[in-house]
Amino acid sequence: MRPTPPATPAAPSKPAAYAGDGERVVLVGGELHTGDGVIINNSVVELHGTFGVVARQGDAQLSGARVIDVTGKHLTPGFIAADTNLGLVEIDLEDSTRDDARAVGQPTVDLIRAAHDTSLAIHEDSSLIQIQAIEGVTSAAVTPSGGLIAGQVTWIDLLHGDAALVHKAGVAVRATLGRAYGGSRSATLSKLAETLSDARLYQTRKPAHERGESRELAAHHLDLEALAPVLRGQTPLALTAHRASDIRAALELARRYDLEIVIIGGTEAWKEAEALARARVPVILQPTQNLPGSLDKLGARLDAAALLDEAGVIVAITAGGAHNVRNLRQEAGVAVAHGLPWERALTAATLNVARAYRMDREYGSVTTGKVANLVVWSGDPLELSSQAERVFIRGRAIPMVSRQTLLRERYRDLSRFSP
Amino acid sequence: MQPSSRTRRVRRLAARSRLHAGRTRSRAALVALASCLALATSCASRSQPPATRAPATQTYTQGGSTQERAAPLLLHGARIMTGAGVIYPRGELLIVDDEIVAVGVTVDDVPAGTRRIDVAGKTITPGIIDTHSHMGVYASPGFTAHADGNEMVSPTTAYARAADGYWPQDPNLERARAGGVTTAQILPGSANLIGGRSLTIRLTPDARSAEDARFPGAPAGLKMACGENPKRLYGQKGGPGTRMGNVAGYRDAFQKAIEYQRSWEKYEAAQREWDQRSRGAGAGDEPAQGELKQKDRPTPPARDFGLETLAAALAGDILVHMHCYRADEMSLMLELAREFGFHIRSFHHAVEAYKIADRLHAHDTAASVWADWWGFKAEAFDGVRENAAMISRAGARAIIHSDSAIGIQRLNQEAAKAMYAGRHAGFDISDDEALRWITLNPAWALGVDDRTGSLEPGKLADVVVWSGDPFSVYTVAERVYLGGALVYERGGEASPRTDFELGFRPGDISEANVPPAPAEGRAPAPAQDGGRPR
Repeated sequence: MRPTPPATPAAPSKPAAYAGDGERVVLVGGELHTGDGVIINNSVVELHGTFGVVARQGDAQLSGARVIDVTGKHLTPGFIAADTNLGLVEIDLEDSTRDDARAVGQPTVDLIRAAHDTSLAIHEDSSLIQIQAIEGVTSAAVTPSGGLIAGQVTWIDLLHGDAALVHKAGVAVRATLGRAYGGSRSATLSKLAETLSDARLYQTRKPAHERGESRELAAHHLDLEALAPVLRGQTPLALTAHRASDIRAALELARRYDLEIVIIGGTEAWKEAEALARARVPVILQPTQNLPGSLDKLGARLDAAALLDEAGVIVAITAGGAHNVRNLRQEAGVAVAHGLPWERALTAATLNVARAYRMDREYGSVTTGKVANLVVWSGDPLELSSQAERVFIRGRAIPMVSRQTLLRERYRDLSRFSP
Repeated sequence: MQPSSRTRRVRRLAARSRLHAGRTRSRAALVALASCLALATSCASRSQPPATRAPATQTYTQGGSTQERAAPLLLHGARIMTGAGVIYPRGELLIVDDEIVAVGVTVDDVPAGTRRIDVAGKTITPGIIDTHSHMGVYASPGFTAHADGNEMVSPTTAYARAADGYWPQDPNLERARAGGVTTAQILPGSANLIGGRSLTIRLTPDARSAEDARFPGAPAGLKMACGENPKRLYGQKGGPGTRMGNVAGYRDAFQKAIEYQRSWEKYEAAQREWDQRSRGAGAGDEPAQGELKQKDRPTPPARDFGLETLAAALAGDILVHMHCYRADEMSLMLELAREFGFHIRSFHHAVEAYKIADRLHAHDTAASVWADWWGFKAEAFDGVRENAAMISRAGARAIIHSDSAIGIQRLNQEAAKAMYAGRHAGFDISDDEALRWITLNPAWALGVDDRTGSLEPGKLADVVVWSGDPFSVYTVAERVYLGGALVYERGGEASPRTDFELGFRPGDISEANVPPAPAEGRAPAPAQDGGRPR
């Protein structure tokens, strides 16, 4: 993988400072799983906006900090939702609450929307954000949907009500293989190639294009411009692809245009595991999805994550949708039940998500200098019996309450109602 | 209106065999063991003499190999969770033919020739039961040709039957079985106010038709739906367009069913009178008068399969399963059901059941819920993780259902999530209680709790052997027995596959699978069917 380039436009690239957050919090005594395969027993973790000291207890001198004893607890990096419309949707079937797709149902000319920037639409007051956060999901790659090229992926921290929850816009461009364009997978691939060619052409012919001295291009110039970082290999093209033939086509596309790509879905990626590993192409998949739901998914299997990992592919795990990305840890647990080593599963739900979006310099593991997103678990973080007891996002302890816990408390005692 | 007298009349009428062929279920074994059931621990080690039972050989030939069970079978060494209030840290389970004969710390009187399987370190539970599945009517792959679950031509299609749209080759079935599911209710979809009759199936691997999969003697269910779906789908197609229209539709349908019953009642009264008169005439010597009476013989009303189904629901012979999310709507439906004299056996989805758990308890109505689905539509917006726990706590029957071919594969985990969410919030839910959410309680909702749903002598041997604690994310089903027959074994080649996927998996198209040339004059293999229950 190429080194992560510096951030492209938009949003603050450093975590913001928060009023009243000057306090240094130090967690001592916990069993720390750093997210990159390392386990530190009896650990010390210091949190500001970013992680300070991360060490074994005794190795660190700490004074003037608020010390929290987490002996017997498990510590992990915050889990990261890899492919979600969190912040862009409140109620799936209520169109007025959705901002995850541009111009749904418009003619095919509008199927290329690389400039569609989701960061402008994230709703920080969405009830979904806190509902996921109190269960240990602390960041998300928010992805648009629809069309051939759906738009740009936004990286957020799950800070409910905080206008600065967007960490970085445009971390990837999201596209879909298969039958996204023209009613056939070959039409889809040729349109994508045409668009990338025109985007490359546009970079050399901007003045001519503006003077109207250029032939008609595959998309609006803003959409072509938005593909420039992808063509430079600075941001990845995240491609939904399920059938093995589509995954081979994606690899070929990446070779031809020298792109960094990520495979999303990847039902049959295990069939191309060696090629994916050689090309260092990460795969984001949902382990429980084992149905042959279409002819693109006949190879669906529960041990896909294990097979890919074994072949050396960077595997990231997603829980799909937005309302229950909190089930990410269950998805990881199911992958473990079907052969993925435990620490690899944790990495797949944390560090590898950050790697897939080239955000691993700042996210994905409990490492000095990274954004201080951390969860204190009552037990094994992948196990159903465990719960998140404390969640820190950008070093802040979030209140462990959500719209759902408020509803629960309102109806805890039914005796106050008429029978 | 006088609901109580009408209810009685309807029940009396519907009880007649015209509406419902007599159930074939034999209750003898259960009756004999009734006292035992109440005291599972003290009876646990009792076993019935096996001599009276002829050991049957059951064979499934699927996926290129053969699984055979020669009765009886003793599973020993495992933790056994009965779903009936008892958990044995280390116990034994004896299966003879298709039934559980004994369960306990140890089983005495193990018949000679019993096969013993050491399952130490494993956990045994009853087979998992799902009250809400669309397998077979919304099959994989999701071809348009496979959409057979919603008869979306009219908001009331009580005449439709899931069995008539069921495709037994749905690959989803195989995956559900691998998740320990042994019984499921296949429902019509929720597009319609009244969608039609459900089909309760056994997860048998070799069904060639819906009837092959049908749970013998299980009552049909009636699928009804509240709220957003019917009004959304029919709002531009003649209505209903609002929740008002929805409820008007139920009233209209059930009123028609009552009137239909009345017409049959009138006919039957006339027929009785005619019978009496013609018997009187036959005793005399006036054949001419007899001929005349033939002319007077009353004509039965036209049979209407939809109204017949609704009348059976009014009579309680068909169990009402109602898709309903909101607390206010469920309350409304409980009132409407009381007004018309029917009983709602279970609400389905019931995302707000926790708000009216006391009312569900008072009406003896179960709630089939998810562990955590919420927010996909407005009526599902108030979901909480503690829903099942709060229903249980109020004394009502909680059920974890799937409504999903993915979710059905891990109902044990879904129950676990709901159980732990409850415990973390201070609702004391035992392991046994959470297990009942996916076993005995759904069995009750489907009207088959006298045959399955718990590990008790006399019940069908629907049994799952899990690799460990069924409430752990790392646990998988290792063996699944359906009526005593091994229908799934993890990693075993025997795990049956549906037809659709043959030829699509790696290794299918290989020399190894080229059949030998048929030998001339070879006799067909004899049928090997030991009267296996389905």
